[in-house]
Amino acid sequence: MRGISKSFPGVRALDGVSLSVDAGEVHFLLGQNGAGKSTLIRILYGAHHPDAGEILLNGEKVRLASPADARALGIAVIFQEFSLVPYLDLAQNIFLGREPRGLLPGTIDHRKMHAEARRLLGSLGMDLDTHALAHELGVAQQQVVEIAKALSQNARILVMDEPTAALSDHEIDRLFTQIQALKASGVAVIYISHRLQEIAAIGDRITVLRDGRKVTTMAAADAKPADLVHLMIGRQVDTTYRHQFCDQPGAVVLDVQKLEAANGISGATLSIRAGEVVGLAGLVGAGRSELARAIFGADRVTGGTVRLNGRALDAGPVRAVRSGAALVPENRQTEGLALMRSVQDNVLVAGMRKWFPSGWYCARAAATIASDVVARLSIATPSVARVTRFLSGGNQQKVVIGKWLTAGSTFFVFDEPTRGIDVGAKAEIYGVINRLVADGAAVLMISSELPEVVAVCDRAYVMRDKRIVGELQRSELSEANILRLAMHHE
Amino acid sequence: MKGLAYRLIAVAAIAVGLAFATDVFLTSANVLNVLRQASLTFLIASGLTLTILTAGLDLSVGANVGLSACFAATVMKATDSVTMGVVAGLGFGALVGVLNGLMITLLKLPPFIATYGMLWTLNGVTYWFMGGETIHGFRPGFRALGSGYGLGVPIPIYVMAAFLLVGGVFTRYTTFGQEVYAIGANREAARLSGVPVRARLTLVYILSGAMAGLAAIVYLARLNSAEADIGEPLTLPAIAAVLIGGTSLFGGVGSLTGTLIGALTLTLVVNGMNLLAVDASWQPLVTGAIVILAVWIDVITRQRAEARV
Amino acid sequence: MNKGAAYLLAILVVVFAVFGSGFATTANILNIGVQSSVLLLLALPMTLVIMTEGLDLSMGAVLSLSGVVMATMLMNEHRLPVAVGAAVGVGLAFGLANGLLVVALGLPPFVATLGTLGIAQGLALLVSGGQSVVGIGDALPALYGREPLDVPFAIWVAVAAFVILRLALSKTRLGPYVSAIGGNREALVLAGVRANVYHVGVYVLAGAMAGFAALLLTGRMSAGHPTAAIGMEFDAVAAVIVGGTTFERGKGSLWGTLVGVLTIGVLKNGLNVLEVSSSLQVASIGVLVIVALAIDSMLQALKQRRHTPARAA
Repeated sequence: MRGISKSFPGVRALDGVSLSVDAGEVHFLLGQNGAGKSTLIRILYGAHHPDAGEILLNGEKVRLASPADARALGIAVIFQEFSLVPYLDLAQNIFLGREPRGLLPGTIDHRKMHAEARRLLGSLGMDLDTHALAHELGVAQQQVVEIAKALSQNARILVMDEPTAALSDHEIDRLFTQIQALKASGVAVIYISHRLQEIAAIGDRITVLRDGRKVTTMAAADAKPADLVHLMIGRQVDTTYRHQFCDQPGAVVLDVQKLEAANGISGATLSIRAGEVVGLAGLVGAGRSELARAIFGADRVTGGTVRLNGRALDAGPVRAVRSGAALVPENRQTEGLALMRSVQDNVLVAGMRKWFPSGWYCARAAATIASDVVARLSIATPSVARVTRFLSGGNQQKVVIGKWLTAGSTFFVFDEPTRGIDVGAKAEIYGVINRLVADGAAVLMISSELPEVVAVCDRAYVMRDKRIVGELQRSELSEANILRLAMHHE
Repeated sequence: MKGLAYRLIAVAAIAVGLAFATDVFLTSANVLNVLRQASLTFLIASGLTLTILTAGLDLSVGANVGLSACFAATVMKATDSVTMGVVAGLGFGALVGVLNGLMITLLKLPPFIATYGMLWTLNGVTYWFMGGETIHGFRPGFRALGSGYGLGVPIPIYVMAAFLLVGGVFTRYTTFGQEVYAIGANREAARLSGVPVRARLTLVYILSGAMAGLAAIVYLARLNSAEADIGEPLTLPAIAAVLIGGTSLFGGVGSLTGTLIGALTLTLVVNGMNLLAVDASWQPLVTGAIVILAVWIDVITRQRAEARV
Repeated sequence: MNKGAAYLLAILVVVFAVFGSGFATTANILNIGVQSSVLLLLALPMTLVIMTEGLDLSMGAVLSLSGVVMATMLMNEHRLPVAVGAAVGVGLAFGLANGLLVVALGLPPFVATLGTLGIAQGLALLVSGGQSVVGIGDALPALYGREPLDVPFAIWVAVAAFVILRLALSKTRLGPYVSAIGGNREALVLAGVRANVYHVGVYVLAGAMAGFAALLLTGRMSAGHPTAAIGMEFDAVAAVIVGGTTFERGKGSLWGTLVGVLTIGVLKNGLNVLEVSSSLQVASIGVLVIVALAIDSMLQALKQRRHTPARAA
């Protein structure tokens, strides 16, 4: 792929990206969420068309107008969200759209289909009943079916998106064996993963994307994980990073003991004091968002306790909010805002009880309150009546924060607060966080940007595999230490 | 606001058109009749509006009105007390609302199929309850509620106006109303903002049922009789009224005022067809076509809004 | 609910056989079959529609309209095959309309088909002038009254429809593709299949079979009546849901629907024998649907709790 560029409304997803992959190699594609990996793959798969650039297969230029074209040329993708149909059996899933024809026109030769399916699965070392329905299988098995599906298409290029995210160690080993077999037969594998430790196991080369551009391509042997993390995240221009660290934290605001949750969190214990900004670091998939959601009550808690200012949070988001908790989610558009509603409406939604305790709502008073918050946070909007959808990413984030300011929250959970926001707005958000804790609030900040964690947080917990594996005090807080704890192997 | 203005203009246009098309339209008798009928439709559709605002739906309103009216009529006759009958009707409507609310929040059934099942259950119970009989002949005082005039204006219009006022205040000037819109606009974001979603939804369906109960009372007063099938033709026009009025099936957008305008529009169209001596069989056809058109406009409006960034 | 539906049916049969005199006779069993035949013709395609996460509320009205059209044509002394063709044609037209509204315009199915319900109902009233259309001649009643091997014609037709549709689903691509539309439409599109065509096709089939069912309905009544089939779509939906097909993920089974149809038929018949009023029968089916949905919902919730979530953030 050469010089691929692609823009969507409001966003330049890819800017002149080039990627070349050889037969029989496993080529890692690295980058943060939003770096452009998904878009690049979708273009390779024919689901999107590039605005600029070209794709060459074996030296020949090709045009991929649709997924069918890509398939015909031997390109297969295994997405993170599997493309299996839950109530069809394995053979039907593998041959969806390409069923072998039977005797009568329009019929399917089931015997042939199942025999072939069995053969494919067998070649991957799996002995599954091809009549089983897809939804009956575990995740690892479903993934093997996906690979079989790709093989059945005579794929020469196989793209795997986060293949090991939900696999056990044993299953990962088996997958790697299968990948080795694929390599040996000349298949090129483009491998997207956040698990840097896997590079040593099967990687040949690595390409790093950041903010829609290619940063570098290198041999796997030359790559050190710490360097890769830097390449993925990059150094932002330092503006007003927080300098005032909290020497005298106040009373304990949040106290979490041995928290267990339905989303996989287990044994989480942590505490946060007033005036602190505590970081929650770790690699993607470590479970940071899950922990935050469990604390907030957004996901179901199955064990342990969460106490906020002494009050137990065991009754979902309603109790959490009323006790003073605030959640600024990672997906601000789908979980933090009602995009079709105005700035005013979004800002007031969590503060109803506080500002209108009698139940009577006065739009004028609400407008005043909202204008206040807009001014305090410097939200760029022509008026509080503006529909939130039209605001920029940074301003949308400020609206979410404004919502919690209005609610008078004292404990804030920020999940990737500055992701996808331009540098200027980032600085403003750090300023907001500063002011919050100066006024006595407590903040838990999830961030994948190591420099951000080091510069903004008083201390940090590090997570790995849904557990807290360490706590770093101010003096110990460094990118190297975070990475050391966050990664599986040294 | 802009949308409402356009709709109001459409209503005026239809009215003007009809005034030209037939002399009978602009007579006071006819105009009052139209307003009376629109009021009745509005009452039924008002609770429905609330449920649709939350991105839900209450398909059982028509059947609820039918059964509540029959129940109220029976109680009224049995106790010879208007008050008891009114309480019975309102209470029963609300009860149906409670059941709907529980199905949707507790059992987490999709609203359209849950209320669809309720619709037929109520239907069957109504026929069984009435046993093929008709109840009629209520006290004049009561009948005035539906057929009477106050200062030359049909009483149902006062009821409707009161309702619009109360309902409008409710949706716009209470925190509950704000939360309803929030839930319809983005249910998960509302939940994560501390809005007690399940409690609010249950209440919304209870209100929908209660308003159906109230509509049943007024309806009963107007018809002066109750039989098993009075609820059947009510659901489709109610849905049409809500959709024409600009309330989106996808939630978060709409208002009671819009529903009133929608009810007016629909009633004008039906009235026009009657005055122009169009076969009554055309009415379900036209209503059906209007529903499809209104939903289509809703879908397109949605798509356009989401495309603009 | 698949096995559950079968158990329910068995329980109902036993209960009614014990408590209802005259239930367990050959004549009554055949009666149930005949009564259920029209419903089966409606419920079979409804299964497919629901498997695609859709709904067709217009089937009852379309059936009434087709019946009226067929009766009118017979009354005007057209030949039977022509009249049947006309009925099916009407159904096809409505099916196509529904399919286009849902797939091409993206309207929510229940509202779109609610609208076409009104249109079909209105047309039925118009064509028939609000009256029954009688005087349909002898050809249809004669055909309907035939009993090859002592089994009524209606049952033969229903069984044939079941067999044909079942074969089509299991032997051709229709089955997998319909399940995929509901289960993972994206996967189907990515596989290069014209999902839209199959999606519209499901609604076209529903309409066509509603039209075809007019053969049995008009035959049974020896007339066409504009409101004859009001509410049958609800019975069809109920039969499908009781039979275990749900609104998500493409799960569905024609056998389940057959059991569901028989369950409703047995329930109605048994309640009749026990002299329960027909309106309570309707109510009981409503309750049955809600209970079936509730059970399915609770089972889903239980399954969710047992599985640890696979995907990390």
